[in-house]
Amino acid sequence: MNFKGTLPTLILEALEREPSHGYRIAQGIKERSKGVLDYKEGTLYPALHKLETDGLVESYEGIEKGRPRRYYRITKPGRAILAEDRAEWRRVSRAVTVILGEA
Amino acid sequence: MSELESWLRQATRGLASESVARVRSEIREHYESAYESAVQNGSAADEADRLAVVALGDAGTANCQYRNVLLTSAEDRLLRESNWETRALCSRPWLKKTLVAVPVVLLWSSVALFFTGPIDAARILLAAGIALGLMIIGPLMPLYTPRRARIFRTIKNVALAAALLIAFGSDSLKYSWLLVSCAWPMIWSEMTRVSIRRKLPIAQWPKQLYL
Repeated sequence: MNFKGTLPTLILEALEREPSHGYRIAQGIKERSKGVLDYKEGTLYPALHKLETDGLVESYEGIEKGRPRRYYRITKPGRAILAEDRAEWRRVSRAVTVILGEA
Repeated sequence: MSELESWLRQATRGLASESVARVRSEIREHYESAYESAVQNGSAADEADRLAVVALGDAGTANCQYRNVLLTSAEDRLLRESNWETRALCSRPWLKKTLVAVPVVLLWSSVALFFTGPIDAARILLAAGIALGLMIIGPLMPLYTPRRARIFRTIKNVALAAALLIAFGSDSLKYSWLLVSCAWPMIWSEMTRVSIRRKLPIAQWPKQLYL
């Protein structure tokens, strides 16, 4: 299952926990949602590039198991946007729950 | 050709060489991690390769998304090749003075003609003076913030439209097909610049993106 437009928020949330690289972010989202959110991994990087262009995350070179990897970390504006997205999501999800709960 | 190579070819089609290099490097890193993870989970090499590529999803969809966020080859070419006018203008003081003088002369001539006789010629000179002046003054102005640049571009576009109206007068509608076909290269490069502005962080904007 996939909710359009939620991937950037999920990436920001993953990076708020710790700086990470693309593969670990993708696996983290899949594991923490218990496989419900199964984004195609090739679409993760365009979302990361967009967040980087908007200044919400920044990338740097790191090393993992002796191999160079591009890591990403959240920036201050990124944290602010994440807080806004969280609040918005809670508001929407409460509204949807009220409607679906009534059915 | 391996499945990964074929995926990468499709996903990077039409992207600028710098963008291609970045996509290839990050997807290869991703693939290696996915492959290792599948092997550790007991998959055979062939199966691990297949699983790692399948997890990347559809290469065509990825290509569309990459084109929305990374520079394409056409945008990269525009960025590299359309900066020479600005550089030439700003680096040669004599050229700067000469080119600034041209629209001023045109505008003065149009005023002179307006009072002395042929109004049509005055109108054409006025339109040419406005259009040329706007083209030349842009690179010389202190446009270093997106807000100032937006204001300048709005004024420029309105003034260019006004210049065309002045030049063609009541025939503007009649000659609109000619205007659109002649202005098409300009419209195309302006649309490409809009797309580049969306993709490049403001800190990396060259002067031409502000104009």
